[in-house]
Formats: sequence, structure tokens, C-alpha cells
Amino acid sequence: MITLHDYVLSANCYKVRLLLAQLNLKFESVDVDFHPGREHKGAAFRRLNPMGHIPVLVDEDFVIRDAHAILIYLARRYDDGATWYPIDDAHRLGSTAQWMNFADATASTLSAARLVVNLGYDLDLDAARTGGHETLRVLDEHLWFGEREGRAWLVDGDRPTLGDLTVFPDVVLAEEGEIDLLDYPAVRRWLDRVKQWPRFVVMPGVFPFGTG
Amino acid sequence: MWYPIADHHDVIPRHTARTSLHGQELVVWRADDGNVNVWENRCLHRGVRLSIGVNDGAELVCRYHAWRYANRSGGCTYIPAHPRDAPARTAACSTFPVAERHGLVWSTLAGGDDASEPPSIEQLGNDAFVLRARPVRAPADVVLGLLEELNWAPFGSDDTADAAVERTRVPGGVAAVASERGVEERIIFFVQPVDSSRCVVRPVRSGEPTDSVAALRHHATILADVVERAERIQSARPAAPTAETPVAIPTAPPRPERLRVRIERKWATAEKIAAFDLVEADGGNLPTFLPGDHIDLHLPNGLIRQYSITNGPGETAHYRIGVKRDPASTGGSAYLHDRAKTGDVLKISAPRNRFALRRNVPSTILIAGGIGITPILAMAQALDRAGLDVAVHSFVSSEGEVAFRDVLDRLGPVVHRYVGLDPDGTAGVLKHVLTSPDPGVQVAACGPPPMLDAIQTIADAAGWDEDAVSFEYFQTGDIDRSSSFTVELARSARTVKVTAGTSVLDAIRAEGLDLDSSCERGACGTCALPVLDGEVDHHDVFLSPAERAAGATILTCVSRAASNRLVLDL
Amino acid sequence: MSVAAWSLNTSDRCTNPAILNRWHPVAPSHAVEAGESHFTVLLGVEIVCRLNPAGEPEVRLRRDPATCVPAIVDYGCVWVCLGEPTEALFTIEEAGEPDRRIVHAGTIGVNVSAPRAVENFLDMAHFPYVHTGILGVEPYTDVNDYQVHVDPVTNDVWATDCEFWQPMAATTSTTGQMTDYLYRVPHPFNVILYKTTPVDAQRMDVIALFCQPVGPDRIIAHPFLCLLDDENTTASIRAFQLRIFAQDKPILENQLPKCLPLDPRAERPIRADRAAITYRRWLSDLGVTYGVIPA
Repeated sequence: MITLHDYVLSANCYKVRLLLAQLNLKFESVDVDFHPGREHKGAAFRRLNPMGHIPVLVDEDFVIRDAHAILIYLARRYDDGATWYPIDDAHRLGSTAQWMNFADATASTLSAARLVVNLGYDLDLDAARTGGHETLRVLDEHLWFGEREGRAWLVDGDRPTLGDLTVFPDVVLAEEGEIDLLDYPAVRRWLDRVKQWPRFVVMPGVFPFGTG
Repeated sequence: MWYPIADHHDVIPRHTARTSLHGQELVVWRADDGNVNVWENRCLHRGVRLSIGVNDGAELVCRYHAWRYANRSGGCTYIPAHPRDAPARTAACSTFPVAERHGLVWSTLAGGDDASEPPSIEQLGNDAFVLRARPVRAPADVVLGLLEELNWAPFGSDDTADAAVERTRVPGGVAAVASERGVEERIIFFVQPVDSSRCVVRPVRSGEPTDSVAALRHHATILADVVERAERIQSARPAAPTAETPVAIPTAPPRPERLRVRIERKWATAEKIAAFDLVEADGGNLPTFLPGDHIDLHLPNGLIRQYSITNGPGETAHYRIGVKRDPASTGGSAYLHDRAKTGDVLKISAPRNRFALRRNVPSTILIAGGIGITPILAMAQALDRAGLDVAVHSFVSSEGEVAFRDVLDRLGPVVHRYVGLDPDGTAGVLKHVLTSPDPGVQVAACGPPPMLDAIQTIADAAGWDEDAVSFEYFQTGDIDRSSSFTVELARSARTVKVTAGTSVLDAIRAEGLDLDSSCERGACGTCALPVLDGEVDHHDVFLSPAERAAGATILTCVSRAASNRLVLDL
Repeated sequence: MSVAAWSLNTSDRCTNPAILNRWHPVAPSHAVEAGESHFTVLLGVEIVCRLNPAGEPEVRLRRDPATCVPAIVDYGCVWVCLGEPTEALFTIEEAGEPDRRIVHAGTIGVNVSAPRAVENFLDMAHFPYVHTGILGVEPYTDVNDYQVHVDPVTNDVWATDCEFWQPMAATTSTTGQMTDYLYRVPHPFNVILYKTTPVDAQRMDVIALFCQPVGPDRIIAHPFLCLLDDENTTASIRAFQLRIFAQDKPILENQLPKCLPLDPRAERPIRADRAAITYRRWLSDLGVTYGVIPA
């Protein structure tokens, strides 16, 4: 039995829900009152995760925290073909890790802007937006050339990886931080491609591809 | 002035691209038939950006309330909140002219005669190679200034030092030729003014080089430098306040009563059934049609005949109709079969609806007798496109009478065909099809009167809800327009007869008087007039109960007279 | 909550008495009960809220800390008036019933005017498309005719006899049902919904949206619930409500223009928009010019 300690509006929790759906895994979601209750900072939650953040995944007796760590665990444990985390191919594995780090970098830009606008966090909004646009320019250029070179995903190869899955949430939600995607047409097309994954799931703020 | 606003990579199937020209936000989408649409990026209803909506290949669907807008015309074809009401015929998105040239999608905000055509750039010839466009956070004039001084080494040359570059301003951009030791490269840098502080550079190269990706990278690097310099210049300038574009009050263009169409194609789709593709005679867009719509065809011999539009959603380049030769023809079908030919120009009415196709039930049974298949084809395709279950039961007297076989084949196994049944045989099939009434199923039928009568009897006997079964010639809609009365227009000193089926608004307009309207559903109040005498039969939702009771105002688009005569202040 | 990030524009200041003289929510009570100062922006003005040792709200202008502005606490929020409070805050009687769960679901900033957010709250036709599988599902898209009136005594806008088919209308729902609604707009920027509850056929759940107008085209939304629900945790009630609101957010943030146009010809209403039609006329009649484009 898999349990996800979850918050509906968290992009990091969404990453885990996306992969659980891709791997066709059943799970139980436990709502953590992240906002406004700050339950993740409470004593009860800290017994589960002393770092006091979400998501936390519990698989039978195994407790693991941090979205990317959870994703690597799930991919190794349940993805038989090792497509999401391609351990059998050094180049693709390295590139996957590179884009997962890129997704971490968007936490201080795209995600930060969203937290300021949505939840009133005390962060530097101008810096977050400027950094967000720089990030999106890099992403748009990579994806635009990918289209010319026959590469649909962030990492070479026919299948998407955890690179796409981890970069997607902050980017698709960027406009909630008032970082307009108008200037990034290749990014918008890639968002459409991700939304066409079989078993793709939405979160509030994310529309499905087509009428869903 | 025409500008490129996208390139062919941006308008891929089932995608909605978003851009802006001079501060006017645009949604750009390609339908499955290849047509590119450039529209104001706003749903008519509540102003939601259509670029977050769905391109279903035929129509653009708003995310908010799923209003559907047709390829080409931008006309609204369905409003799910009111499944039984046909959308007002005047409800259409603002569309802009569009042309595809040199791998770019061009548009202009100027309408009408100013629109003409985008420039054809001779230097680019037919093998234009689109380089990567770059959005710039600087105005077009800054970027054009830098492009006019741009030096670069042509792709394929190995030295950048001695490149000679010639540049000239062309409409909307800078044309440049770089040459270096016999290698020459010709590029036009078009600049799309996004708004007063932003633009997009859209370079196009004459000819595709062998190593195309390397060339794209080469030029992306050159352009990145231009972008950086332009943004540095712009950031040193004082920031100009960006004002929200004021919202224009849309005025519904008058809907033409008649239009001229040309027969683009005529062919025999079945024995005794001729098919026609009708296009707008001057090459413009045809008015939006709804599934089940028909047109009045005004024949040169003075006869008027009605034919259903068979097209599926988004098939807006022409109206396709099927005409069965009537052995007793007095010159209608006989004229169309024997004399009408490709290239002929005919007059038709704008499309009209008797058959409001609702989509608020999971499943629909469509029944067609003979040529009655024509509106059924349009309905079946619309339901199929909307992802709803549909079954088509088509009755024909012989295999040779199966019209529009290609569409039926495309619909696939949902089509059941019955050939050569006598009335008893037909009734047997119908009894089977209509065995069990189901609140999740609706029935719509079109065919000869005896068949419709049989369907009515069988459906009643089986216990189908009256509401669940509709027929061609069956009056639908919530407003009873059967009354006729007289309207006196006090200030204009005119008397107008409002006949059954027409609205007061229509009748006033038919007199040549001007009256603004917007929603034409009794919801916005635009067409309201003061009532001086007479009793109003209110059908609107705009007036308050007190205002209704006072009877001093009438919404002329829907409300009627409860007395024989109304006197209005116009 | 911080305001450091909000870019303050002097043109965001409100001079419209119809708005300035009303009470507006500025903080959930839970944010000030901890004894902390809460910075926020109301009508383009930076303010600081806290509770004094007697537990009363104390709200000062950030740029002029000597000035205290009128403040009260009700319905899970601190309410402030930056002008002359001409009338008391509207009442929600159900909030006083002892068996009700009172929950402030947590604030969310939205880049839209308050009237756009209110109008969306009054709208049922979007349920199958924006709250798919929860508040509506295709093909059950009909909005049946309902009644709208302005109460002659209280001057509240009411929409009554509203109904919509919903697959899962509340946290307590297990199956789909035709759900009955009443809507009430007692204040230009606040709206209350009364809806059928599976728990008690005689009573209704109360869900309100209080909009804090940060500027004319930006709000902080305060979803407030007053429910008959003993079963669900506060976390899951909040998660349900925030899920619904977060689904609306990208729609609201993609509306152009952000301020609500009051000219009935600017957009294209249909019969289902009866509540919105009356609301827009009512805003005009009240003389509201903030957050709207006057006709």
C-alpha cells in the first residue's frame, strides 16, 4: 500500500502524482493542511519528516521524502523498462539528472513567483520573474531545436523521462506567478505533448489537452 | 499593414498558438483542413482567452463554458448551457485576414479594403527557409535600427572578418545579403510589433542549406546578440506604463439576408441525387452553419427550394448539399439536375435552423429516410466530434440511392443501413430501434411524412418522452413566435407587420430602420425600445419583474405583443 | 503574508465612495490570532493588522502608523474600512448556529478584479468544464431558468431556484445529484452560496467568497465555509475548497479585460447569466467604479 502525504496545490506533490499515474500505481492521498494550517511544520508531521516539508511517500514500511528522491525510488522499484529513469544509458541518465536539477532551479524562480502571488510568501518577486524568464528562454531554445532535430522530449530518445516530468509542473503553472508564456511557443507545444501522455493527470490550475 | 505573426512550426494540428500585434492579442490555430485562423484572443461571452481553449480540429472551444467557434467564420455554433437554443447568428469572434507565405503566417489588423494582400518577397522565392524567431523585450524600432547595422558571416563561410553585408529596409523588416569569399546568404528579418515595448524578429533565409540544423544554430547565435543589445538599450530607457487595451464594444455586423454562391463542384452522389459544393462567390467566408441547418436556394427561374447542409463541423470552405430529382418537379430539382453547372452563381439565404441539435444527453439515435439523410449527416458528424454516442439508421429504397457514401463510411459502424424495406419492414426495424425509452437517449428523424408519422406512433407506443423525439419541421425553441400583430413606430410614423416566425427586431430592420442588437436572446438589453401603447408579451431575461409589470420597455429581439397592436418610441 | 512583492501603483488607490466606505476582508483571523503583525494591501493602501492585548483588531496604515482605521472581526476574517463605514457588515445567520463547522479555507491571490471573481462564483454553466467530475460533468450542461431579484429591504442580489447536476458536490457526497443553490450578493465584492447538503434535507451548507481588493484588478480571495459536516478533517475540507478555487483561478486570470465591463454590450450574456446581468446592473446602480469599467 502506497500513501502520499499530499497537498493539492503543490507542484512537487503533483510530480509524484504524475509518476504514480504513469506507473499505474494505486495510492492513498492524505491531505496535509499546508496552507493555511502549516500542518507540515507541526510536531505530528515532523515525526514523519523532520525537515517539515511535503511530499512524503510511505510504501509499506518504507518512508521517503523529497519529490525527486521519491520519483527515483518509484521509477527503480516499479518501472520495469527503466524508461523514466534510464539507468542503462549513461548519456540519457546524465541528461535526465541534469533536467531534474533544472527543475530544482525553477523552484527559486517560477515556483517562487507563484508562491508570492498565490500565497503571499515574502520572496523577491522581481528577481523570481527575471530568473523565470531566463529559465524559460533556455528551455524554449532547447525544445525548439529538439523539434528541428526530431527530439520531442528534454532528453534524447523516443520516451520522456523524469526530466520532462519534473520540469513540467512549475512551467505549466508559471502564469500563476504572472510569468507569461507568450514568448515561449516551443514550451507551449511541449506542454501540449506532455498533456498527451496516456494516463496524464491534471492538478487544479492545469487544463488537460483537448477536452480531457 | 501585414506582419508575420507566426511561422509554420507554430500552427501545428490541434494546437492553439498565442501572439499579439500592436497590443491586440491573437489566437492562431490551424484546423484539420489546413486553414489557419487568426482571431481576437477573447471569447465573446466572458472575455476568456481562447488560446487556453481547445482546438478540436474543426472548432475552437472555450475552456470556460465550452462555447464552440467554427473554423473560418469564427461563428459560435453551440452554447452548452442552453442545448436547445441555436446560438444567435450574429455571435462571432472577431477574425483577422490571414495568409501563409514564405513559411510565415501573416495577418493585419486593418479590415475590409485595406486588407488586400501580404507582401510577396521576390528575393525569397519559393524555397524560403524559416530561421528561429526571437521575441525581444524592446520595441520594433530599436530592433530594426540594430538590424540595419547587422554584420554576420554567411553560414558556410569559415571566416567572419571579411563578410560584406548589404541591408535595405523592406515593409515590416530589413532585407540583407551577406557575402564572403563567394558564399552568399540572403535573409529577410521581419519584425512583428507585439506591443509598444516588445517585438518578435522573424528571419527567413532564401533556400534551405544542407546542414539545416547547423544553419539554424549559426543564426540563432547571431540573433541572440541582437536581442541582448536591443534589450540593453531598452532597459536603459525609462519604463513606459503599459495600459490595458480598452475593450471594444462589438457591434454585430448586419447579417446578409441573401448571399451569392458559386457552384464549385457538382457530381452525382447517388442515383437521382446530385451533390453540390457551394462557395462564396467573391471568395469570402460563408456564414456559420449549425448541424441541421438548411439554406433557401433561389433559382434563376424564380423558384425557391430548401436544402440541408450536410457538412461536418468546421467544414466551412463550402456548403455541401444533396438534391434529389423529384419526378414531379416543376423546375426546382429538375433545374439543378439538368441545367445548373460548375461555375454558375446562385443566390441563397443565410443558413437557418429548424432542428436545434442538443448535446445534453449521452446518446442520440438519428433516423433518416432517403434524402432525409442530408441534415442527419451534419448532426451525426457534430455529435461524433463532440465525443457523444450516436447511431444512424438510414433507410433507402435501393443500394444505388445511398448518397454521400464517403461520409457514412467515415462514421463507420455507427451507421446501420436498410435497403428496400416496405412500410411494414421499416416499421419493424423502427420498433426494434425504439424498443426501450431511455432518459439518456434522444431521437431525431428526417424523412418523408409517412415515415415520420410512423416514428411518432411507434415512439409514443413505446413510451418515449415527447421531448426526447424531434423531427424535421418540428418547431423547437422556447419562444412561441406564432403570434402576428402590428407595431406602430411613433417617431418614424411607420406601421410594421410582425408575422409569425419573425421578431419585432427583424420586422423593424426589414423596414430599413436601424436598431442596435447584440445577444439577440433577450439577455443584454441592447435592442430595448420604450413602449408607448399596447401590452407586451415578455420573453427576455433582462428586465426586472417590476419593469416587466410596468410594460414600458420591450426587448425587440424576443418579446412580442400580447395585444393586436404595439406603439413603440422609434 | 508579505506585501514587499506587490508592486504598488498609486492608480490602485480607491476614491470611489461605493467601495471605500464599505468593510473589506484583509486577513484570516487565524493569521492574527498568533499575535503576529500581518502586512497586506487593501485598495492600493498598505496596512498592518494585529490583535491588541484585549484581543481587538488594530489596523494601521503602514506609511502613517499613527493612523488607526476602523476594523472588526467576523466570519473568520478581520474586516477594515478605509473610508467612513456607513453601514454594518452584512450578516450570515448560519455562522451563529452551534453545530456548524466554521472554516476559513486559506487565502489565494488572484490576478483579477473582485467583480470578475464574484461573477464567476455566481456562475453554474462552467461546472462541467472547469470543475469536471466534481461540480459538473458533460453532457449534463443545461442551466435551467432560475429567478433573480434585488431584495427591496436589504438591497442584496438574490438568485433563487438554481439547480445543477453534480457528480460530487461536497466532501460529504458519495454519488451524483441534482443540487439546489441559492446565491446572495450582499456586498459588491462578496458573495454567498447556500447549497443542498447530503447531511440534512432541511438545511443548507453556506460557502462564501470574500474578495479583498488589493487593487482594481487584483484580489486576495478568502473562501469561507459554514458547513454541516462532522466527518471530514479541516485539512480535507480546505483541500476540497482550495481545489475548486484553484481550478477557477487560471480562468479568472485569463479574462480580458481584468476589470468587469458594465456595458451590457461589451460581452455577450445568455439566459444562464441572469444573475450576472442583474449583478452588473446592480453595481452600476450602486455607483461602483472600482474594479469595473463603468458603462
